[in-house]
Amino acid sequence: MDFKTFLVDFFTAFIIVIKRFFLLIIYPYKTMRRISLEKDYYQLLIIAGLVFLYFKFIYFLRDKTYLATLVFLFFIFNFLLTSSFFYLLNKFFNSNQNKKETSFSSFIFTFSYSLFPTLIWFLSTSLLFIFLPPPRTFSLLGNTFSIFFVAYSLSLLIWKLILEYLAVRFSSKQNFLRIFYMMILYLTWFLPYSVFLYYFHFFRIPFI
Amino acid sequence: MTEINLRLKKKLNEVFSIEPNDLGTGFLNQNFKKITAYFKTIPFVYVIPFTFLISLVLYLLLGKLLVRLVTILQYGF
Repeated sequence: MDFKTFLVDFFTAFIIVIKRFFLLIIYPYKTMRRISLEKDYYQLLIIAGLVFLYFKFIYFLRDKTYLATLVFLFFIFNFLLTSSFFYLLNKFFNSNQNKKETSFSSFIFTFSYSLFPTLIWFLSTSLLFIFLPPPRTFSLLGNTFSIFFVAYSLSLLIWKLILEYLAVRFSSKQNFLRIFYMMILYLTWFLPYSVFLYYFHFFRIPFI
Repeated sequence: MTEINLRLKKKLNEVFSIEPNDLGTGFLNQNFKKITAYFKTIPFVYVIPFTFLISLVLYLLLGKLLVRLVTILQYGF
């Protein structure tokens, strides 16, 4: 493969990622269904690149933090751990039934795209940290900002939950109740693990 | 014609890649379908007013605690 082909493939993937970002806002269900069948690995590279740029950016904002590359590697480890957990759990569920085989790449693609709400929240919060640094006051403006910020954070959290559910749904092809159990099982180890990440100053709020 | 058939087949495979959700009873299935329909297309139309309402209720219930929570969240990145 020559450089020209690489460049064309890379920019095509970049346009697809941007297009899908907007489509995930408008048509999350249809878009996630299509993403679960994706095979273009350049898209993963672009999303990972965006996350890496974010870690580089906050490296200059946070005190006593680890190198951006190290935090990024830790994020990749967490991401692979999460994807593998759902993939293996799905395999275990499928072993009891005669269901269609699912691919690991489908989990990777859908989980990568479900990182968008996380990335937006973290990026906007770090930008607000520069322009409207905490602590918030109990004045009228402080109270109004707090209401808006909580509404904004909750909106992104709900979007994240929708995308996360759809990611597991289309990758694992399990039904709602099974996915609910999977999520509960995931939280049973991920919540203590998040405390561990907080304790060692990797992430205050887990980036997942 | 063949291309149209292929595209149609691809689309049908995509749409029927998963089985419909079965929650056990007809009542639950019907309501689940109704609720999830709101989240399939432009969910923010419902999500944004809902979250504003929730945060307003939280402010009325928690008061200054909510402001403190926002301060903590702002350090959370």
